[in-house]
Amino acid sequence: MNSSPPTEKADSGVQTRHVPLFSLGRVLTITSGTVTQLFRMKVFYFLFAFALVMVAAGNFSLPATPAQELSTIKKVSFGTMDLFAWLFSIVATALLIPRDQEDRTLYTILAKPVRRIEYLLGKLGGVLCVVGLSLLVMGTICAITVGFRESLLVSEEIGAMQADGHFAPDEVNQQIDLIRHQGLRPELALVVLAYFFKAAVVAAVTLLLSTIASSSLFTIIVSILVFLIGNAHALATGFWLQESGNSWVVRIVVKVVKVLIPDFQIFAFSEGIVQGEVVPYWLVGEMGLITVGYLLVFLLLSLLVFVDKEF
Amino acid sequence: MKRLFHFVPRLKLVLASLAMFGLVREPIEQRMRARLIEANLLLPPPAQTAFEQMSQSAMMGTLGGLRTLVATYLTLEAFDYFSTKSWDALRQTYQIIVDLEPRDESNWVSAIWHLGINATANMEYNDRLPKFERERRFREYAFAGIAFAERGIAQLPDSVAIRLQLAEIYRVKLQDNCATARVYGDTIGRPGALGYVRRFYGYFMARCPGKEREAYDYLISLYREGKQQHLPTLIKEIKNLEVKLSIPDRERIPDPDPDLPRPAPQSQPSTPLPGGIMVP
Repeated sequence: MNSSPPTEKADSGVQTRHVPLFSLGRVLTITSGTVTQLFRMKVFYFLFAFALVMVAAGNFSLPATPAQELSTIKKVSFGTMDLFAWLFSIVATALLIPRDQEDRTLYTILAKPVRRIEYLLGKLGGVLCVVGLSLLVMGTICAITVGFRESLLVSEEIGAMQADGHFAPDEVNQQIDLIRHQGLRPELALVVLAYFFKAAVVAAVTLLLSTIASSSLFTIIVSILVFLIGNAHALATGFWLQESGNSWVVRIVVKVVKVLIPDFQIFAFSEGIVQGEVVPYWLVGEMGLITVGYLLVFLLLSLLVFVDKEF
Repeated sequence: MKRLFHFVPRLKLVLASLAMFGLVREPIEQRMRARLIEANLLLPPPAQTAFEQMSQSAMMGTLGGLRTLVATYLTLEAFDYFSTKSWDALRQTYQIIVDLEPRDESNWVSAIWHLGINATANMEYNDRLPKFERERRFREYAFAGIAFAERGIAQLPDSVAIRLQLAEIYRVKLQDNCATARVYGDTIGRPGALGYVRRFYGYFMARCPGKEREAYDYLISLYREGKQQHLPTLIKEIKNLEVKLSIPDRERIPDPDPDLPRPAPQSQPSTPLPGGIMVP
């Protein structure tokens, strides 16, 4: 099957209707179809597993101060959210094109005046919508867990300090501020955004691999491998170089890996926000721009492979 | 375009484009990384020693972007070592934890607390070890706690919690008044330091041989700040120093010694109630 020309012939064969080069409507139709497709695959069941992790995390009981306890709960909750987000992003994206091929939906779509870029954009858009929705749900569960625990710990701490009797009101406030600093804060919404950025780039990389690969399994395995290497190369470069005595062979390998594989580690900037650091919003904005850059480039590369692919 | 595709295999074109994009983005990402680390949002790469000490699974998790989760898991593991009093395993685990999350103050504080207070306390009461070995390990764990504290302070120079935990080791375990005073003195004025730190600095300086005069001047200056500083311990320490330094009577503070029994309050004559009833 080759790519369809952007014109439609009427039954009579006399009239031809001009089909626009790019139609947002068509992209949105494919996006909504993809969302429905993923819903039908019951992909949201993983949220139950996530909720179970949250219940376990919410019941951690360590010999720690309330602030430390909250910090641990928050780190486990958000760390799990991150793990689920990128893993879900890989699996969902890897399943889409092969599933369309299997169901023969792909042939029906591409037989219509739909450009390949619209198809890919629609698929990626659908995955991003579902990932975004999952992150919102997971973020809400995290917020409820942390918020509930925070209010419990704050009331316990106030009670204990008041019972003790020798703490001045400003000392009580100082202690409560310490707990609240590790509790539910509006900046935590940016953590969800950071995870979305990372998951979006992961989805774009998986989409490219999916256009090259012939099976979902291959795409999933290679995507996970690329993700792990993308996380590791920034962290382990110094270690490898030192271990090898700064060998030129290792330096070349490191350079090639760095150039070909995205640096997923910079998307871990959410760690600082989780730990209560002050967020410079312009940095988050720049990370958003880097994400958009990745999405555009990987979408175009996917198109390069997919544009005249025969099925 | 089709001609180009005909001559150059598609995969090679993709790889070449990826490499070009990589060359463009690499310097941008490096600058971004530096700024994120500077803003404390991104953690710097773990130290060489962390990689060497990590188990295979921890290393995979760390490299796989699960650094925070790995650190949290190791914290739980360390708690397990605490429960079983496996102090050496606990120390090793905390070495990795603080390398993974060097900016998390609570990790440093917990490491110092476990080694400097819990492990040393266990050595004080562990009957299964001979006395000499207990004393040797007591010192070893106390100094391991101090070493953690020094690394933590180098990492988080304004941390009050780390300094207070360090002072605790010097004060309770090593009973080194001079070092305790030095740590409390270093804590004064740092963000979040509570008022008692200033007084504690004076109290422990007063017990440090050779520092009595300096301690007296310091405590007197605190005393002169006003009534809110006229606390029993402060008065007692000043009184001790007055005796030790032979301060002339006219320069001594007028407050009574808080340790001496207070004179019973004189009973005021009761006012008779209507009908001539006297309330005792």
